[in-house]
Amino acid sequence: MSGGSSLLVPVEDSVTLRQTVAHAVGRARDADGAVTLHFVCPVSERPLGGEDSAVAGEAEELLDRVAVWADEDLGEEPTRVTVETAVVGADVYLFNPGDYADVLVAYARRNDVDTVVLDPEFNPLGMAPLLPPLERELEGAGLAVELAPVDRATRRGPLTRPAGLDQFALLFGSTFGFYLLIAGTLTPFNLATGAVTATIVAAVLRRISTQGSVELGQLAGRVARMVVYVPYLLWEIVKANVDIAKVVLHPRLPIDPAVVEFDAAVWSELPATTLANSITLTPGTLTVDVTQRHFTVHSLTKGARSDLLAGSLERAVRFVFYGRTAMRLPTPAERGETPDGSVDGAGTDEPEEVRSAVERVEVDADSGGGDE
Amino acid sequence: MSLVPDILLAGASAFILISLVVLYRVLDGPTMQDRVIAVNAIGTNIVVILALVGAATDTPAALDIAIVYALLNFLMSIAISKFTVERGGVL
Amino acid sequence: MTPTEIAVAVLIAGGVFFTFVAGVGLLRLPDVYTRTHSASKSDTLGAGLALAAVAVTFGADLPTVKAALLVLFMFVTNPTAAHAIARAAADQGIEPWTVDDDESGGGNE
Repeated sequence: MSGGSSLLVPVEDSVTLRQTVAHAVGRARDADGAVTLHFVCPVSERPLGGEDSAVAGEAEELLDRVAVWADEDLGEEPTRVTVETAVVGADVYLFNPGDYADVLVAYARRNDVDTVVLDPEFNPLGMAPLLPPLERELEGAGLAVELAPVDRATRRGPLTRPAGLDQFALLFGSTFGFYLLIAGTLTPFNLATGAVTATIVAAVLRRISTQGSVELGQLAGRVARMVVYVPYLLWEIVKANVDIAKVVLHPRLPIDPAVVEFDAAVWSELPATTLANSITLTPGTLTVDVTQRHFTVHSLTKGARSDLLAGSLERAVRFVFYGRTAMRLPTPAERGETPDGSVDGAGTDEPEEVRSAVERVEVDADSGGGDE
Repeated sequence: MSLVPDILLAGASAFILISLVVLYRVLDGPTMQDRVIAVNAIGTNIVVILALVGAATDTPAALDIAIVYALLNFLMSIAISKFTVERGGVL
Repeated sequence: MTPTEIAVAVLIAGGVFFTFVAGVGLLRLPDVYTRTHSASKSDTLGAGLALAAVAVTFGADLPTVKAALLVLFMFVTNPTAAHAIARAAADQGIEPWTVDDDESGGGNE
């Protein structure tokens, strides 16, 4: 676990892939020192030829998806984890577990990998068990092998997350504070019952209510920026309500509802929730569904739609959670129209988290363009 | 002496009247979600009414009740929405 | 009238107005989604203004903090509930109303 260790994760489109990625990222994050995560997709050469490029394209797409997941799991804090993806074996005909092991071991040697994390459902051969012999071969080549602990029954994301003393303290503090606020006095009785209640709540819920590690500096920064955001949001809400009042009280009811969908440039749950709620509260827009970053928004009038895609709200939410530099990311409208050129102005002095954010936007814009 | 309690009570009665009108949407539907929205809106009004009456009669404890009611109101909406998605309806 | 009375009266009037708009919207608008707009936005602002009046009445004291907490809570939960309901409606396959529906099917201007 010294500096410069690397993890190799062979990937294949399986139901447990998401959980395997989450496990590998969590492991890399908890390790000491810098860790490089290699997500590798073994692709076999087809002896009959013809569809090679299609298979390679699928593999690339899968790896893109894995990279996005990994970034999501890494969260927005800067970490010492680097993610790399690669397609291997495209020029070899992979026939049995030994072939897969050879390709993976060769990759591991090239990139200084010491540990392999395996997805229990990893089976590109699609027949007789690949995993046990593959595991043996890899171990024989001097690599440490471990299986990702995945839950095959459920396909939802895990409800609980690993949580330690930090999360406990945060939850305990906020619960205790709320309790005393409602109680209104600091009598020994209230202090004692409050402490007991807060302990129970924090012990039971700490793995559900909190996400990631607690960083007080970051938290304070967010709260401070939130204080700036709230008056802006209130003003937007008042404007929105005057608009709605005009529309609703108008004798002819001049509404033109429609559903718009767009990808927001926010990551992880809390910012997405804040943005969704802000959208619902402001100009004639209502968030109907959010899947990861994909927002489905119902809008009441035409004006509301253009306001939404102008992206001032999204920008403000990014300001709250990622700081001022993130505000310069392109708006949804710009992203839709000029996926490549619009991110150039993002400057060079931004922190790493924002830079990777910009890259993700580019990736997203590219894949979006490819679908058309 | 002060006009404040009267203003607050007048506001509370206006909220009650609006809630009664919204009750039409609860009864009429036509969909499950229409009713849930209407009940949710009425619940929000009730929270406000509780707080207004509490303020008018100088009973700060009413605010605690209002907070609990707001929590229940929220849980009701979420629970019913969840239920209609997973079970296809409760009513 | 004292400044407090004026402030309370203005806030209550605003609260009642927006709640009234929410009520009218709930009755007049054509489908679930548009009604959710009205309920989530106008109702939240109406409640917020009325609770601000309550906070002003109590003056600088603990109940004011509680009223502020209640406002904050509402601004978080109301949109969330609206979102949950709208999503439930979408999951059940309720199609959003559009202007075309009115021209082809409805007779009220």
